[in-house]
Amino acid sequence: MHKSGSSSSLGPGGLDLTQAFFRPILSAAPPSPTKRHTKISVIGTGNVGMAIAQTILTQDLADELVLVDAKPDKLLGEMLDLRHAAAFLPRTKIIADVNYGVTAGSDLCIVTAGARQMPGETRLNLLHRNVSLYRAIIPPLVKYSPETILLIVSNPVDILTYVAWKLSGFPSNRVIGSGTNLDSSRFRFLIADHLDVNAQDVQAYIVGEHGDSSVALWSSISVGGVPILSFLHKQEIAYEKETLENIHKEVIDGAYEVIRLKGYTSWAIGYSVASLARTLLRDQRSIHPVSVIAKGFYGIEDGDVFLSLPAQLGRSGVLGVANIHMNDEETRRLQSSAATILELIGQLEI
Amino acid sequence: MHKSGSSSSFGPGGLDLTQAFFRPILSAAPPSPTKRHTKISVIGAGNVGMAIAQTILTQDLADELALVDAKSDKLRGEMLDLRHAAAFLPRTKITADVDYAITAGSDLCIVTAGARQMPGETRLNLLQRNVSLYRAIIPPLVKYSPETILLIVSNPVDILTYVAWKLSGFPSNRVIGSGTNLDSSRFRFLIADHLDVNAQDVQAYIIGEHGDSSVALWSSISVGGVPILSFLDKQEIAYEKETLENIHKEVIDGAYEVIRLKGYTSWAIGYSVANLARTLLRDQRRIHPVSVIAKGFYGIEGGDVFLSLPAQLGRSGVLGIANVHLNNEETQRLKASAATISELTSQLEI
Repeated sequence: MHKSGSSSSLGPGGLDLTQAFFRPILSAAPPSPTKRHTKISVIGTGNVGMAIAQTILTQDLADELVLVDAKPDKLLGEMLDLRHAAAFLPRTKIIADVNYGVTAGSDLCIVTAGARQMPGETRLNLLHRNVSLYRAIIPPLVKYSPETILLIVSNPVDILTYVAWKLSGFPSNRVIGSGTNLDSSRFRFLIADHLDVNAQDVQAYIVGEHGDSSVALWSSISVGGVPILSFLHKQEIAYEKETLENIHKEVIDGAYEVIRLKGYTSWAIGYSVASLARTLLRDQRSIHPVSVIAKGFYGIEDGDVFLSLPAQLGRSGVLGVANIHMNDEETRRLQSSAATILELIGQLEI
Repeated sequence: MHKSGSSSSFGPGGLDLTQAFFRPILSAAPPSPTKRHTKISVIGAGNVGMAIAQTILTQDLADELALVDAKSDKLRGEMLDLRHAAAFLPRTKITADVDYAITAGSDLCIVTAGARQMPGETRLNLLQRNVSLYRAIIPPLVKYSPETILLIVSNPVDILTYVAWKLSGFPSNRVIGSGTNLDSSRFRFLIADHLDVNAQDVQAYIIGEHGDSSVALWSSISVGGVPILSFLDKQEIAYEKETLENIHKEVIDGAYEVIRLKGYTSWAIGYSVANLARTLLRDQRRIHPVSVIAKGFYGIEGGDVFLSLPAQLGRSGVLGIANVHLNNEETQRLKASAATISELTSQLEI
């Protein structure tokens, strides 16, 4: 049995025991690389990147996990901390480097790196700084994994997904933003909590911009197959529009509240992105509200804008957008969301 | 269907839809509490506590998870961050409070809270501060969950497990320290990495103090059923004692290295403790090197000292100690480890 590139050294004399411990069987071919080898790279080992990496590891979604960051000490520390859990996990190769060469051959590249807003900084300026950062991140990822799927998490996610798409030159099905996948999870949690039902039985989408102008699709919420709004009408149960607005607001405020209380968010986005990774890599063909190129949908015609729509995802990335019916108000809000994003994109130099 | 104590509020008018959405069947009894309801409390919402909580959640080990910490904002932020992932997880009730009443009826209480060493502070002084902290933590835990198992993680873990035992008045099978469970994992990782074997096929224990005087049980390491040292002797493969010492040292240094690089450790201890939680709550009857009352084993007679030994664990806690053979040198080192711990313990006012 050959010794793979294991990084341990058992002292100056070394203890090369592999050939003593395991004896080959007769007429065997030499070991060949396994055909199915799933590799995921996570760019950025901050709180978000590490929550994503650790959840991916716990859920056994990859054979190889690569971490990249600009800070080498933090990066090495995080890699070692994950490796030390080897006895409790399925065997996963975990590597890390400041150099993008380690990401070669990735099936999925998850980008969480991003500048934080300085006090008093304009949103546009923050955006410019992140575009510069992406100019250093996206081209090497593309160079080393030309067939990969790019999953963008850094904020503002819709615009940075657009930036990643432009910088990568990839077809649009292979550049996806985490978008409103998590907003929708929070939305489903609130509805489920109130109805005392499992959140997985609540189908409810928040689409559009991942941010203040997101659009809650009330008209298509379904619980155990029962569409909520038309059901309320049929049963003649009164509800106030304000009530619905408040629930939506609670979703938008959810992230700000966690940031205010603990300084950042990590766990929920970790689960959310791991869920997207599973659907993509295991070709699950599930529908997720994620940031995709929205031109041509719901009357969005000007410019190549990325925003969240309910998209069917699988091994080739975005398979299509679900043909969900939106009422007039929802369509208007979505178009307005698109206009907001498009205006900012117009001010970038891409 | 009655409305459980859900915490969401749908605005001033409220939207009480539960009774409209689900209709009861004929002749049904009112809902009764489920008989099997596993509750885990984690005390301390720092990096270690949260890594443990999140891993327990991902691995679906509990029906209810309670978090306690002194810092209420941080605590609430962490709880919300976990709750927001509801759509991606099995339905788990997640609660948090600074008040220990929230822990009532816990099957397992995991204590990670602990003071950090101040620059120039003596080890004894740090210990005294932690004893004071435990006087505020252990009695309420015991009051609210008199049948619980206490799993101690804070360092120095062996001494604090002793402290928890004294303060709780529990029988010794229900007070366990995470001990050298993780050291042994790192040990198995290093050996497995070198032999290109899955770490789960390496049986290797580090026991004694979780710290500098831990004892590596080389004489009982077994890989795929092959005992390493006697195998090397039989095959007349030479090895140097120094080589073995270096591997052990690499394990001890492992934690320090991660702390130096990223500031603290979290992921590995998270997996390690979740692994213990699984064995305990699911009555797996597996052997783990954890901190238990060691009096009467391997010639340890003076005082009630807690240190890590290979212990069989199950739903009632510690079932017994595996009768692993220690050679003379290993026995001597273990006794020295016990003496170190015993000396510090005697200086405490318990």
